[in-house]
Amino acid sequence: MMFTTEMVQLFGVALGRDSQRLTEALLREGCMQFVKTSEYESKSPDGASADQDRLAEVSELRKRIEGFLHTAGIIPSVPEDADINNRVSVDIKKEDNLLNQIAAQREGVRDKQRVIHQEILKLEDIKRQMELYGRDFSDLKLASKSALISMQIGKLPASNLKQLENGLKDFLSFSAAVAIDGDMAHRFLISMKRDKSEINKVLAKAGWSEVELSNQMHSVNKNVFEEISTKLEKLSVEQKELETKAKNIIKSEVERLQATWVNLWVSELFNRIQINFEPSSRTIVFTGWLPVSRKAQLTKVITEACQGHCYLEFNGAGSKTTIGDGVPVQLKNPKFLEPFQMLVSNFGIPKYGTIDPTAFVMPVYLSMFGLMFADIGQGLVLVMLGFLSAYSLRNNQQKRGMYNLSWLIVWCGFSSVVFGGLFGSFFGMTIFKPIWFDFHGVVAGHSSGSSMIKDVYSILAITIYFGIMVITLGLLFNWVNMIRSRKWSELFFDKGGIFGGWIYGGGTYIAFYYVLHGYKMFPGGNVLFLLVGVPSILLFIKEPYHFFKHRQPGEKFGPIMIMNFLMCWVVELLEIFSGYLSNTLSFMRVAGLGIAHVCLMMSFFSLAEMTSGIGSIAILVLGNILVIGLEGLTAGIQALRLSYYEFFTKFFHGTGELYTPISLNSKN
Amino acid sequence: MAGALSKYSFINAKLRGRISKILPDELFHELAKSHGLEEALAALRDTSFADLEEVYSSTGDIKQAELELLKDEIEIYRDVRKYLSGSSAELIEALLYQFEVDNLKNAIRLYFDRKIRKRSIDAGVHYVLYDRIIHDIPIDIIVNADSFDEIVGVCEGTPYCQIIKKYYHTVESRGSLYRMEIAFDHFYYDNLIKCINKLDKKDRDIAVRLTGVEIDLQNINWIIRLKSFYGLGLDEVMATIVPGGLNLKKDMIGQLYSAHNVEYILQGLIKTKYPGLSALLGSETSDNVSRLLLIRQMLQGITKHEVQKILAGYPFTIGIIFSYFILKQEELKKIRMILNAKQYGIEQERIESMI
Repeated sequence: MMFTTEMVQLFGVALGRDSQRLTEALLREGCMQFVKTSEYESKSPDGASADQDRLAEVSELRKRIEGFLHTAGIIPSVPEDADINNRVSVDIKKEDNLLNQIAAQREGVRDKQRVIHQEILKLEDIKRQMELYGRDFSDLKLASKSALISMQIGKLPASNLKQLENGLKDFLSFSAAVAIDGDMAHRFLISMKRDKSEINKVLAKAGWSEVELSNQMHSVNKNVFEEISTKLEKLSVEQKELETKAKNIIKSEVERLQATWVNLWVSELFNRIQINFEPSSRTIVFTGWLPVSRKAQLTKVITEACQGHCYLEFNGAGSKTTIGDGVPVQLKNPKFLEPFQMLVSNFGIPKYGTIDPTAFVMPVYLSMFGLMFADIGQGLVLVMLGFLSAYSLRNNQQKRGMYNLSWLIVWCGFSSVVFGGLFGSFFGMTIFKPIWFDFHGVVAGHSSGSSMIKDVYSILAITIYFGIMVITLGLLFNWVNMIRSRKWSELFFDKGGIFGGWIYGGGTYIAFYYVLHGYKMFPGGNVLFLLVGVPSILLFIKEPYHFFKHRQPGEKFGPIMIMNFLMCWVVELLEIFSGYLSNTLSFMRVAGLGIAHVCLMMSFFSLAEMTSGIGSIAILVLGNILVIGLEGLTAGIQALRLSYYEFFTKFFHGTGELYTPISLNSKN
Repeated sequence: MAGALSKYSFINAKLRGRISKILPDELFHELAKSHGLEEALAALRDTSFADLEEVYSSTGDIKQAELELLKDEIEIYRDVRKYLSGSSAELIEALLYQFEVDNLKNAIRLYFDRKIRKRSIDAGVHYVLYDRIIHDIPIDIIVNADSFDEIVGVCEGTPYCQIIKKYYHTVESRGSLYRMEIAFDHFYYDNLIKCINKLDKKDRDIAVRLTGVEIDLQNINWIIRLKSFYGLGLDEVMATIVPGGLNLKKDMIGQLYSAHNVEYILQGLIKTKYPGLSALLGSETSDNVSRLLLIRQMLQGITKHEVQKILAGYPFTIGIIFSYFILKQEELKKIRMILNAKQYGIEQERIESMI
């Protein structure tokens, strides 16, 4: 947990005839991150290229199926009981054709949808125009001169109705039956004035003659507007049905598509593994990284798959016989630390063999958050919100980041509750005795209830102490990392090395001495020299040491070089002094935000006191919501910023490569 | 400097965040590879364009999806404007005019098709924006107008009234809208340049450069159209050119239109001003139009180059806003192009050559 998982590299040789069984075994175990043994690559370029083409084909088809399944709301995955031994070979051409057929069927439905959509748009347009200029018969005469639609009533032989409907199809129009009088049909027609001449031609062809509204027809007083609305609803239902039909086209093939997807995915993984096999005439060579803990099990399954006809050699990370550069990094932390691992991974992946700071980020981050946002009530709200969010996202693999963030909010909430208890704050009120000291009281200028904490300066001092602890922890981690990687010169000469740390420790002592002596006295000269002078002088060795150790042939040592050394030394010292000072003071923001949090709550209470009843409660509720939203976010960001820039930069080199073995759970 | 910091610090952070979400080139190649429109839309599922799939699957109409895309694009400008004030906000307003101008052009085109070309426009009227963008323009009435006089009447009080009044006789007599459309473009760029001139020096220099490259592109587009479809004389072409271009000055455009020494001009331009883009000179073209298309590609390369320079430089300037709009426009253009190409079954290679 403290360090990245110990890895080992497997170099294996097996017989070509065991290739399939070996691949199955490797995929089932799912713990190998392969390394391409490039020295063999040139032997079979054609074969490798054919494999790559096949892999590309399989991958493309699999992604295509995935797209279809997503449309039906299905996210495919390999079932846990998938039988990878008895894979069915997928006929790529046939499956491609099947997908083309499904796509064509769906396209047919879309064409129908398009027609309906056009009809909907037409009716909506007419409806919009009617809303502007009049809704039904009674408004006919009201349609102003500026109206863009024309409404008319006419009669035509009932036998010509079909012809009329067909003729009007291409125009933005709506016609409705009003009455039947013998063999004559009376109809109401709405059309756009812009199409007047063309529509008149259609009407003339159908034998239309305009009629005056008779009293009898007035009594019909049919609400055309409502009829259009009904028709629109009907079309919307039809549209919805077609949408479902398009989905059902895929749903009817879901089982087959899913089965094919699994086959293709397993095939793809097989191909991905086999691409890393370097074949000779009778054997295959493969190599890759795995955690040491999986070594025995993998040896067993490989030996079984090859019936003992294999050669396996394991080389530890750092050994000269390993192939390729870099060792993949596996972070192994308990599940409850996942939100904090997310924070670490966002910054970078630690280099192999160095400290994985996840377990330390948890207390550091939460302490800072709690100090900035200490309130039992508000903390409980955060806990509740975090739980609700995590619960709603628990099965959503796509939103794993949001899920972890929700848990982070829960943790932050707990931290607020704890610190709220220490400072005695409940929704900004002091309704019980603080366990440590009364933060609100200090900010308001009252007693804190603790002899140690008298004013806001004491709170600032707490955060300075905290900052010194965090920076010191970072320096210690850096030394551990340097010792583990045997970087001796960096261990001593780096800004975060032993001499740098010595200066920081000395500087801290001097600062405390000065403060404790009423800002009037520094330690004695010898002590000063020992604390700061000696490590500063020792740091001067750094540049000459590097020069003589890494000197290029022909590079000469001279007076200019001495000037260079001096300049580098001065700059380095300046960087160390100013860097550590600003790093430490940076933690004062924790106190600043904590004070701001209290001040905001006090302001809301003052505002609430100016009113009474509901108004007062509303101010307090809104104030708390604002503080939870705004201050919560600010505290979270500032805690993250301090973790990243004041803590991580002391020891963390995010240059590692995450361990991503090929397994059935591999990401697409 | 403090002014620039307070003016642009928030919007700079916000837009940099948004820029990081602009779709990568690999995704466009994936989209180009997809089998058909629906599969291309499915590939956009995990992006900010996921709504397009929803719109298409509920209507079967890609034009409807495009209209939604346009509305979103306008919202982007309005959203950015909210965070600015003074001359910077005025500049965003001036940039918003492009949507109003384009929408008005579309409405007038519909009127023109119906009234002058005597074509049915019922299929097109649903894909014009009827909502207000900057001015209250009754697009409905323009589309359904009886005459240009009516259009002039309803555009009274907007800057477009005088343009329509001035050019509609030419449109009617020549049976072509291009003069009026060019006048609209000139108005847009004149207004934009006026707003740019109100900016502080640092902002102004950046805005002049980026707008200049855009004007170059616009001019090249016009030249390509004029050369391919209208066959106009050089004087007439020069009258259409929008002033304010960065690299293509009038004499160079004249030579480009006449296709004299195209390679020489290109080499000179790239070698002297953009040595980093000299790889673009490797392509050989056979005909004049292809050459102009090549120049367009080069100018797009130049725009990209300018944007990258701004993003890597001092952050608190109007440059970040311009860069974001340019990158966003480019992204939207590619999406529109690919979706339309998929709708019409254009082959993958051709799509890839266009993106």
